[in-house]
Amino acid sequence: MASTLPTLAIPGQLLGSTSKYQPGPGTHIHESNLYASLLGNVRIAQPAKPAGPAKRLTKLSALTQSSSSHKPTPDQLPTLSVTVSAGPGSEDKKREVLPEVGNVVLCRVMRITPRQAVVAILVCGDTVLEAEWQGLIRVQDVRATEKDRVKIYESFRPGDIVRAEVISLGDQANYYLATSKNELGVILATSEAGNTMHPISWKEYRDPETGLTELRKVAKPY
Amino acid sequence: MTDRRRINGPAGTTIPPVFEDEDIKHDSKVVKGRSRAPDAVRRMFLKTGVTPSASGSAYLEYESSAKSGVSGLKLSCTVHGPRSLPRSSPFSPHIVLSTHVKYAPFATKQRRSYLRDPSERDLGTHLETALRGAIIADRWPKSGVDIIISVIEGDQDRASSNIQGDETWDMMNVLSGCITVASAALADAGIDCVDTVAGGVAALVQNAGEDSTPTIVVDPIPSEHEKILGACCIAYLPTRDEVTNLWFKGDLSASAMDLYTKLVENGILASTSANRVLVASLNETLA
Repeated sequence: MASTLPTLAIPGQLLGSTSKYQPGPGTHIHESNLYASLLGNVRIAQPAKPAGPAKRLTKLSALTQSSSSHKPTPDQLPTLSVTVSAGPGSEDKKREVLPEVGNVVLCRVMRITPRQAVVAILVCGDTVLEAEWQGLIRVQDVRATEKDRVKIYESFRPGDIVRAEVISLGDQANYYLATSKNELGVILATSEAGNTMHPISWKEYRDPETGLTELRKVAKPY
Repeated sequence: MTDRRRINGPAGTTIPPVFEDEDIKHDSKVVKGRSRAPDAVRRMFLKTGVTPSASGSAYLEYESSAKSGVSGLKLSCTVHGPRSLPRSSPFSPHIVLSTHVKYAPFATKQRRSYLRDPSERDLGTHLETALRGAIIADRWPKSGVDIIISVIEGDQDRASSNIQGDETWDMMNVLSGCITVASAALADAGIDCVDTVAGGVAALVQNAGEDSTPTIVVDPIPSEHEKILGACCIAYLPTRDEVTNLWFKGDLSASAMDLYTKLVENGILASTSANRVLVASLNETLA
């Protein structure tokens, strides 16, 4: 089956049947066949072998019997994807990506109002974005607890670099972001004096030069 | 509307002087006549990645006719994006296509203005329809892509002085080229497509000689035929076997249904030939 698979694909090229592969990025399904939708190299990712029994065994006891006979379940199939290549010998060209719901992004705070902070999304996952996308952190999405006491100016200031999660594609202009997790929040902040500050607690940053503290929604270090 | 901000060339036709010469005289007598088989398209050259600053780009050139003074078709296409939509535009769950086709001022016999005229807008609309059927639009929510095509040379007979209403037929050839070159540029830009769409033209022509019956040819050059009775431009997805855009023009009797079917069949044949070049060119960039 691997011998019939091409290494390079152009849009519209037949890659295989959906009974053999799972669709990954750069592919699409038409009449239960997998076709390429991008120009590039074909990659096969073998499914991760489950270590030990599956978590939901109790729930799917009837299903596991039938799958153990011969037909593999969809998540046991190898995933096919097509990645854009820059040319012979070079590594994969960076392709423009879009923020998606659930992605962790890095962004810079542009301006704040009592209800929301407007941010510019700079990095999505591991990729630096070429275009600048605007995001919005509303006051109710800043933290998970005591939401009614959140004040935007005690959480973000313009110029801060924030790690946030995309919760919605939002309206026409903005992605909606949230920092309501411990590891999300401000990761780089500058004081009013213009110095880079150190985090000292979950809600405070301290300026090493002046010794003054400022309030932020601080991201827990990994 | 006249363009008063720039220094423009003469608004009328710009024909290089043709001097009375024995060769030319001889040439003008055998104007008509097709040098290819009826089902053969001109050779073409296609290359992607010609504009480094764009996300994707392609250049397409049709072989110029054997007759002197008849220039081929030269198209340059750039794709910018996917990028964020302007703030004023409404929410869109899929990608917003915008296509611009512009003739260079010197591309045709009749000098073109810097502003887009209705025929260029018409080409842009047809191109957008042809590409929309090929793009998987919902892979890119809230984003837009700009497809800009410059017609550098417009596939016209520059030596002949008479304008015989060829422009409408030239537009069909230009559109088929636009579809092919935009498809290559989209693949280069990494925008998801279900297939490589390519354009093709078929025409019903009346050849020189009063008594000859009309025949169907692909990739017609107006200067090679006495008269073009009707033509159709097709955008075709070969692996899906789908037509995304169909453009008919001409005077055909409504009763001759098989004529319409034959024109579409030949248009598909022409676009399959163009698609072969497109696939070969894309494979070349990978290898």
